[in-house]
Amino acid sequence: MANKIFHLALRAAWFSKRTFLYQTLIILLLSAVITGSLLTGYSVRESLRRSASVKLGNTGIVISSGERYVVASLASRLSKSTGMPCTGFMEMKGYIQTLSSQKKALNINIFAVDSGFFSFQGVDSLSIKNGEVFINRKLADYLAASKGDELIIHYRKISDVPAGAPFAPSEETDKMVVKKLGRILEPGESGNYSLSISQMEPMNIFINSVDIEEDGNKSRVNRLALHNINNIMLEDISATLKKILEPGDIGLNFRMVSHTGETEMISDRIFIDPKNIEAVQKAIPSATEILTYLGNSFRKGEKSAPYSFVSALPSSRYSNVPASNGMVISEWLSEDLSAGVGDTVVMAWYSPDSLNNLVEKSGNFIVYHVAGKETIWSDSLLMPAFPGIAGSKSCSDWDAGVLIELDKIRQQDEVYWNRFRGTPKAFINYDKGKELWGNNFGPATSIRFPEGMSIQEIRDQLKGKIEPSEAGLSISDLYADSLKAADESVDFGSLFLSLGFFLIMASLILLSFTISTWLDSKANEIRTLFALGFKNSYTGRLMFLELAIMTIPGSAAGALGGYIINVLITVALNSVWKGAVQTDTLNSYFSLSTVVLGFFIAIIPVMAIAGIKIKGFLRRMDNKENHIFIHPVRRKWTPAVIISGVFTAGLLFFSFILPGQKIILSFLSGSLMFIWLILLFRYLILSTKTPGKGKKGIYNNPSVLYYAFYPSHALTPVIFIAAGLFAVFVTGANRAGFDNSQLKTSGGTGGYLLWCESSLPVMENLNTRAGLIAAGLDVPEMKDMSFILAKRSAGNDASCLNLNHISVPPILGLDPGKFIEKGAFSFSGTLKEPIVQNGWQYLNIPGSNNIIYGIADQTVLEWGLKIGIGDTLILRSENGQPLKIVISGALKSSVFQGNVIIGMNNFVKYFPSVSGSNILLAEGKPEMVESYRTIISERLENKGMNVEITSDRLASFNEVTNTYLSVFMVLGGLGMITGIVGLGFILIRNYNLRRREFALMLATGFTLARIRKMIIREQLVILIAGLTTGFTSAVIATLPSVSGSSEVPWTLLLAMLFSIVLAGLAALFISAKYVTSDSLTSSLRKE
Amino acid sequence: MTENTIILSLDNLSKSFPQRGLVLDGLSLEVNEGDALAFMGPSGSGKTTLMNIIGLLDKPDTGEIIFKGRAISGFSGDESSGYRSRNIGFVFQDHLLLPYLTIIENIFLPLIAASHSKEELEERKDHLMGLMKKAGIDTLAEKYPFQISGGEAQRAALVRALANKPSILLADEPTGSLDNANASLMGDLMLEMNGKFGTTLIVATHSYELAKRMTHLFRLENGKLNRSL
Repeated sequence: MANKIFHLALRAAWFSKRTFLYQTLIILLLSAVITGSLLTGYSVRESLRRSASVKLGNTGIVISSGERYVVASLASRLSKSTGMPCTGFMEMKGYIQTLSSQKKALNINIFAVDSGFFSFQGVDSLSIKNGEVFINRKLADYLAASKGDELIIHYRKISDVPAGAPFAPSEETDKMVVKKLGRILEPGESGNYSLSISQMEPMNIFINSVDIEEDGNKSRVNRLALHNINNIMLEDISATLKKILEPGDIGLNFRMVSHTGETEMISDRIFIDPKNIEAVQKAIPSATEILTYLGNSFRKGEKSAPYSFVSALPSSRYSNVPASNGMVISEWLSEDLSAGVGDTVVMAWYSPDSLNNLVEKSGNFIVYHVAGKETIWSDSLLMPAFPGIAGSKSCSDWDAGVLIELDKIRQQDEVYWNRFRGTPKAFINYDKGKELWGNNFGPATSIRFPEGMSIQEIRDQLKGKIEPSEAGLSISDLYADSLKAADESVDFGSLFLSLGFFLIMASLILLSFTISTWLDSKANEIRTLFALGFKNSYTGRLMFLELAIMTIPGSAAGALGGYIINVLITVALNSVWKGAVQTDTLNSYFSLSTVVLGFFIAIIPVMAIAGIKIKGFLRRMDNKENHIFIHPVRRKWTPAVIISGVFTAGLLFFSFILPGQKIILSFLSGSLMFIWLILLFRYLILSTKTPGKGKKGIYNNPSVLYYAFYPSHALTPVIFIAAGLFAVFVTGANRAGFDNSQLKTSGGTGGYLLWCESSLPVMENLNTRAGLIAAGLDVPEMKDMSFILAKRSAGNDASCLNLNHISVPPILGLDPGKFIEKGAFSFSGTLKEPIVQNGWQYLNIPGSNNIIYGIADQTVLEWGLKIGIGDTLILRSENGQPLKIVISGALKSSVFQGNVIIGMNNFVKYFPSVSGSNILLAEGKPEMVESYRTIISERLENKGMNVEITSDRLASFNEVTNTYLSVFMVLGGLGMITGIVGLGFILIRNYNLRRREFALMLATGFTLARIRKMIIREQLVILIAGLTTGFTSAVIATLPSVSGSSEVPWTLLLAMLFSIVLAGLAALFISAKYVTSDSLTSSLRKE
Repeated sequence: MTENTIILSLDNLSKSFPQRGLVLDGLSLEVNEGDALAFMGPSGSGKTTLMNIIGLLDKPDTGEIIFKGRAISGFSGDESSGYRSRNIGFVFQDHLLLPYLTIIENIFLPLIAASHSKEELEERKDHLMGLMKKAGIDTLAEKYPFQISGGEAQRAALVRALANKPSILLADEPTGSLDNANASLMGDLMLEMNGKFGTTLIVATHSYELAKRMTHLFRLENGKLNRSL
């Protein structure tokens, strides 16, 4: 039986193959669009995966020390321990210029590598000679540089001491070197090496690490890359690293204190991180901390001594050191101040505040003891090796990073310096010192071990005791993370399916029409089957099978053809739709499983529609005799027309008088107007003839009464055209343009004019006169300008410009005070804490237990990070501790897109080594914006400053959304065209259903021209009604955009409207042309 | 009414179709005004084709049609419509009443086709109501086709065919869908109109009962007409 029905269906399908041509073509289109969309999603993901693979090369696991350094030799020891290749290098940001043309590339990646780097990457033949650099193709193209050109490379000076640490030298932190371009690296030569997760091609420069080392004996790196050939888990890498990690690797060194016979540990960073102290004390409990600090002045009465060091010592080792405000002073100071036991000495010092700024403070201390010259107190090694102080010949040469009043330095102070260097003159209890001078960089300047413990003994005891994460080393499987980010990237498959929704829907509706037409043509055959006693279910299966036989090949061909759509979309994404992907490196890839999936996604709705249609058709045919026709009555619809009309007018009225709600009210009134116009059209159709009333309608066009009986035959195409036009127009008009509201304080710019991003940090406080002078910005034009200074930690761009799913975004630290004061920016949502009035205030709440509040753009949260308000983002602070950022607010589209913002106080606490500011938000007089831009660009050129007008920055983010909208419009437009073709089908179907009526008219004396005219007129009414409904309601719905923005793409919209009208008219006239005398009389021929 | 006045003359008509071959083969016929003719013949013999050619819904391949002394086979589409509107009334096997028009509106249709003014239509209304009364459907004027029976609908179709006072009534299987009683009633009506108004009646039918009531009966065989009565 199954074979017979299949055979029968096959014969029937073959017989009516020409009838199926339309269905097959539509299914082919549908399947191709669906599969093409899915393949595009696959291609984007695959491109991202491959791009990540090319960028990383052999790099699998990355150990990063963030802003800190580790010794380069750690790489070889790690390689030996793990049995896997490992290389260490320095990754920095900077900018580059060609010497000849001075063309500049900002914010480039600088990799300082040794000879092992390229071997590690599998490019053994490459090594960078001294004095040469390699750059990648993208950078070379950008600079138009070629081999042999001289390049000026600017980067931040490599220094162990963080620039923001107390008494770090204020000397120039930027370095500049001139190197010859030795080679332009292609992507296959690791040219596009990048540790960032982004689809964008980086601009890279590779420099020999020897060429940038400040101290030739000290080879340091901040990244270790492992080729994970043994597929070792991160935990095992961490365990191995812990085993081999020595204090010296992270800048903790030992020295003998000859004066006391002790061994002490000091840090290259001067201040020792609390986690390191904890680890040391855990291993060697008798180890004690010492904190030595610079006192600005010591005063007793009229006598004063300037700039002397003071040590905070543990009472366990220095039994005489008094608790609390007690002080031990040296004989020198005692004599200098004429102070003795019991006297009060006033000490002043610079204390770091929560933002690492040094503020002078003072306190009273009571002298408990005066220490002799040859005692343990007289210890010159107590003074840390502050880089700007330790090597100075005289006090006057000090560069302590703070204001040193040279006029206060006396001759005897210079004498002391010459004889005793920085030997402290005063001593207080360690606990008191920690309270006064403990800072974000650490609470100690040295750790001393009990007398008699050798360095080797200490080293042995500390072996395997330093946790890498607590030493600021973060370990990640970057290769796996990159692939995961690609896999979880923006799903272009779903995106294009949703953007092409209207096209898909149009195809399905069109298909539904063609199936109806096909079923109409099968009516006689079905009647015969009924007459022969076939059951409805059998007839239904036969019809279904016949349809399936013809549609499955179409869908299969379409699914394969989807690859062509994929290629076309990929080409478009790399070119005209580049705004959506920000790259031109996407490739098309074929995936059989995706094609099969596309085939099924296309065929399932088709078969569902076919099943429903066949079932309905058979039921209708079966019940024909019992069918009771009910004439639609106009009166029933009158209240609906009036009510919807009144509501539409009301909403429209309120949209004008309530400007704050204009957008939503306009959209609602436009949507309601759509419904009202449809109801009105239906009402008018029914008005052409009401039972029992006059017969006016039939005199001119008897055919018009057809729709009074079958209003759905007119309403379906009207709704179809109107809905399509509405969707396309609303999308087009809502292209995110830049209107003046964005420039307001509450807008996306916050009222700020410029977004300045520097390749090297700006160390000056540009909101002070001194800072402006130092930066060269003390010019009259800048008098009205003020800045928001922001620090930024490393991370992957989480803006919509990055297609990858990002888990480690850059953290932006800023002081939100000005934003709170001005009411700057707007939130789309915040946490609801009663004590917080303004969302920005969350950023001022100090962190506790490593939990702080953060704010990000709604877009970043939703698309980049895929989290919401109240969720917690877990990152690593600089010292490796988990930093939990609770999202307290989501900003409406703003210039901060791509970053997560935290308060400056929390930033400097958790990322103390990030010095200076990388981001500046500038405000001033709007009319001066170009002038500001020029001045800042010129004066801060040495920082590699890129100055962007905030509105341009916002527009660049809008470009992604706008590109999506453009895609939607194009696909929506194609959907409209398909819909118009569908209109043609409706007309032909209507004509086929009514052919005998028209034949009768012809027989009763109507001319063919008059019949055609009747058909054209009634279909023209449908077309005009559809266009009017769609256009009018769309304009009302988008009134704020249409009236307030110049960004509405009128040309495109009007072109689309014009093409819809043109396609509609073409469909109309072609279908009218289809009405011929022969075709009509053939319907009368019943012989 | 004038005896032996030739109203319609068919001269050597031939018509063939690609799939059916030659249907009419040099057919000739003269019809006098007021005649009642019947064409009989097996299915596919060309009866409907002949009716369509007479009604200028179809054109012969060769031959000439003379209506009231005027050759009309070369008429354009508009001239053909005008000819039908003024001179021809059609009745088909299916009533072909437009479902969305009432019976009276359906009957008015040929008058609308002839572009009569509203006043002229009002004038004709009495005539049409008279015809409807004769056909027994005068009470159904405001009904819709789906609200009346098949026999009533076919009678309405006959009244519609006569609405324009045509010279010739072409009835193609007018009783094919009717039961005996309704078929007989339909035949009575057509012949009454033929007798009362002198409307020339040409009927194509399989029904010998109907055909034998006509004044002339022809058999259409092999593309030619053979007189049987």
